[in-house]
Amino acid sequence: MTHDAAVMEAHWGGGAAPFGASWQKTMMWIFIVTDALLFSGLLCGYAFLRMASPAPWPGAQEGAFAIPFIALMTFILITSSATMGTAVGASRLGDRRATLRFLILTIIGGAAFLGCQAYEWTHVIREGQHLTNHAKGAPFLVNPWGPPQYGQSFFLLTGFHGSHVFSGLVILTVTAIRTALGKTPAQNVEMAGLYWHFVDLVWVFIFTLFYLL
Amino acid sequence: MSVHDAAHPYRIYWITWVFLLVVTVAMLGAELFHMPRWFLVPFLLAFMMLKAIMIGGNFMHLRFEKSNLAFMVFAGIMVTTLILFLYIAPESQHVLDRTIR
Repeated sequence: MTHDAAVMEAHWGGGAAPFGASWQKTMMWIFIVTDALLFSGLLCGYAFLRMASPAPWPGAQEGAFAIPFIALMTFILITSSATMGTAVGASRLGDRRATLRFLILTIIGGAAFLGCQAYEWTHVIREGQHLTNHAKGAPFLVNPWGPPQYGQSFFLLTGFHGSHVFSGLVILTVTAIRTALGKTPAQNVEMAGLYWHFVDLVWVFIFTLFYLL
Repeated sequence: MSVHDAAHPYRIYWITWVFLLVVTVAMLGAELFHMPRWFLVPFLLAFMMLKAIMIGGNFMHLRFEKSNLAFMVFAGIMVTTLILFLYIAPESQHVLDRTIR
């Protein structure tokens, strides 16, 4: 065996599957890591704003949010992750009907979560928190619950997460349609599932660090 | 995968679901019952990491992947976040001190 061939066969030598996974799955994981680093930056930025704030930061039960409602959103997202996992399992077994059924349930869960988030944003904006305040010419500076950074963090973190939920819904809808047509291999359902679980994973951090702490 | 797992291929997802719900309820309980801050913060952070590990391991199948993939994902995210936070935390104190003065 030549030296080059030995390197190609080694796990870290860039062989066909250095992580023991297909290239699609490897690329999906690399994408997820980079996307996780985006949220990591956002959460560290939130930590900076909170620690540098001279005004006391509102606690979980002093802010604008009803914790039972946020708990409901969390329940919906966790449940949609379980249905997504079941869809992935069904697609591996070649059960197309079950795959489609659980994909549709996941889409319903994701849409319900987005609906809750739209309601929450509407409530917060009506209570007086705005993305911009043209009347005073001071963007982000209206916040009835304490430091203005509180509202900025809320809109930024939940906005980015919500946009990921929305793109996840688009991916799931395309996957469901292609599954119904019999055009989606099991691996594609698994890729869609990885993204959806990642969205759930990010919510675990936002839920704890922003809403509960 | 064991014979039992093969007979119940979706079991792991719903067991994880129940586990995540129980942990979430415990976190909410700690918050709603006004636990002292010195207890609440490490408790919530520990349970947050527990939930993340359950989702990554069972839903995203990382525990069934090769360990170098799991290591790349976990270490890549955690080490970068830790470095970023350790740089940012002291700077936030400087900003706070300057604002107060």
